[in-house]
Amino acid sequence: MKASILDGIVLGLQFGLLGVGMTLVYGLGGVLNLAYGQIAVLAAMVVAITLTAGAPTLVAAGAGLLAGAATSVVLDRTLMRPVYRQRGERRVLLGLLLTLGVAFVIDGLLTWRYPTGTLRLGIGGEPVPVLGIGMRVGSLWATGVSLAVAALLLLFRATTPGRAAHAVIQDEVGARLVGINPAAVRTLIFAASGTLAALVAETRSMTSPVTVTAGFDFTILALIVAVVGGLGNVAGAFLAGVLLGIVSTLSAFYIGQYITTIVLLAAAALTILLRPRGLLGRSP
Amino acid sequence: MTAKPDAIVESGAAPLGVSARPPRSLIRAFWPIAVTAAMLALVPLRLGDSRYLMGLAVDALVFGAYAIAFNVIFGSTNQLFLCVGALAGVGGYTSAILSDRAGLPMVAGMLLATALATALGGLLSWVAVRRSLDVIFTGIVTLAFSLSFASLLLGQRNLTGGETGLLVSAGVGTFLQDRVAAYYLFLGMLVAFLVVFRVLQRSHIGWAFRALRDNELSAELAGIDVARYRVYAGLIGSAMLGITGAVFAHSDGFISPSTFDFGHVDVRVLVMLAFGGLGTLLGPVVGTVVFAVMDEILIDFGQLRTILYGLLIIALFLGFKRGAVPAVADFLRPLARRARSWVRRPL
Repeated sequence: MKASILDGIVLGLQFGLLGVGMTLVYGLGGVLNLAYGQIAVLAAMVVAITLTAGAPTLVAAGAGLLAGAATSVVLDRTLMRPVYRQRGERRVLLGLLLTLGVAFVIDGLLTWRYPTGTLRLGIGGEPVPVLGIGMRVGSLWATGVSLAVAALLLLFRATTPGRAAHAVIQDEVGARLVGINPAAVRTLIFAASGTLAALVAETRSMTSPVTVTAGFDFTILALIVAVVGGLGNVAGAFLAGVLLGIVSTLSAFYIGQYITTIVLLAAAALTILLRPRGLLGRSP
Repeated sequence: MTAKPDAIVESGAAPLGVSARPPRSLIRAFWPIAVTAAMLALVPLRLGDSRYLMGLAVDALVFGAYAIAFNVIFGSTNQLFLCVGALAGVGGYTSAILSDRAGLPMVAGMLLATALATALGGLLSWVAVRRSLDVIFTGIVTLAFSLSFASLLLGQRNLTGGETGLLVSAGVGTFLQDRVAAYYLFLGMLVAFLVVFRVLQRSHIGWAFRALRDNELSAELAGIDVARYRVYAGLIGSAMLGITGAVFAHSDGFISPSTFDFGHVDVRVLVMLAFGGLGTLLGPVVGTVVFAVMDEILIDFGQLRTILYGLLIIALFLGFKRGAVPAVADFLRPLARRARSWVRRPL
């Protein structure tokens, strides 16, 4: 029980970051990026390739983050332009369909070039006892990195670009009136989102291998977390991630793997039906 | 100067695709269906000798039927049902289990399975309408249903056979197993669905569909019970999906989770319909034929097909958003008018 909860927290922190990357982009302009998981996998494959080329782990990890950010920015600068010219429901739908197309392109390219591509950031060493439970070193590293990034996100909120992003999320027209360029903010947030996707793929690979076909699963997980946290709500996404992480390890341990998937999906569906604004959402 | 009511226009869902009125005259309304049926009926004359090619043709018709159902739900009333495969799977698995395990007669099993799929689809639609979910939330809820159904199939191993799939034996030895006969059966269903679609379009239901798709708010203000018509569309489309899945299970003799998989069915149906033209009568059929031919040509390219699919989705929704059929119709209409006026020219 205690071991499951600790494992759940390790997993949940990563879920949280994954959800934050998805929810930020949605909050900004109503685009649900369905290529999100594929960007994560793309970054993971970049890391795997640079590692086999003989680069040190840190350099490879940096290259991965850069690849995630770059792909995301390219997406924003090209295909998202026509999407942002639309408004309301039409914008949402077009964003959804175009990123679905991008997801297929990236997925196809990766599985075509690297059909057996897998990333494992093996970190060896004896298990370290935490609260009387032996934790793997990989899990501790993953947790440390996730917490550090979460702290960075909090700090980012206090900087000028962070406040600009917050202003655009709250009211695009209002932000424009006080001299914020929404397009620049969007590019920044897309870059942050791509970096987060890459980061989660890397921390994930410290405890279990990330394969080339994992893209769709990443996207669905991010979607679930973002919905439960309330679309566009960063703190909500993080909290939802941790909670769902614990729920998922507990139910995987006590009931079984396939029920876990259903539990997570049901959590998303029920949130939409009962509390459409998410865990932390206030009623309109 | 008239004030532009842009607040309403912008908040309303501008539809992707078209919502044109169907022709008034009976002949002009139904001849496209008759011509389509006649053309598709000729296919076995060419392919009849090859069991492999006939199998592909049957699969194509099944996807055509799915696409028409999706056209009723999404194309007519803007409900993004991402559970086309799952609802067909409910039909397929229920009828297979009812006839093979519970010993029910095959047709009774099919009818019960269709009823279940209809009820589930109607329920999803009703819930979405009651909670007034927008297009994205409807998409996520139905996607969650889809993926849960897939997990359930994998989990309930002793009932569904899990990943290895299920051999369906009730249809063995009947005409359903003959590919040519199955082809004509599915063609009959496809034509029947097209007729249903056309009849709906011409009735007061179709009138309400067009109104609520063009602008939900104004439709509501004009006294249309938007909620009720959305649920109608959900029920009719789901019934089509359920029965197609059920008949397919018995005619193919084998179903597995990948038969009704989201990535296999839903994405394909969406692309097919987007290509043919959302909300049009023949869009689903055009999409079906084009994609069946394209798949056969690209069969050796494997993964490149996925890439091409992705590029096609992007191009379709960036470029001609209304689909191929309306684009071609727009292109031909002035030509036809010119031809007509040339014919009628006084000598």
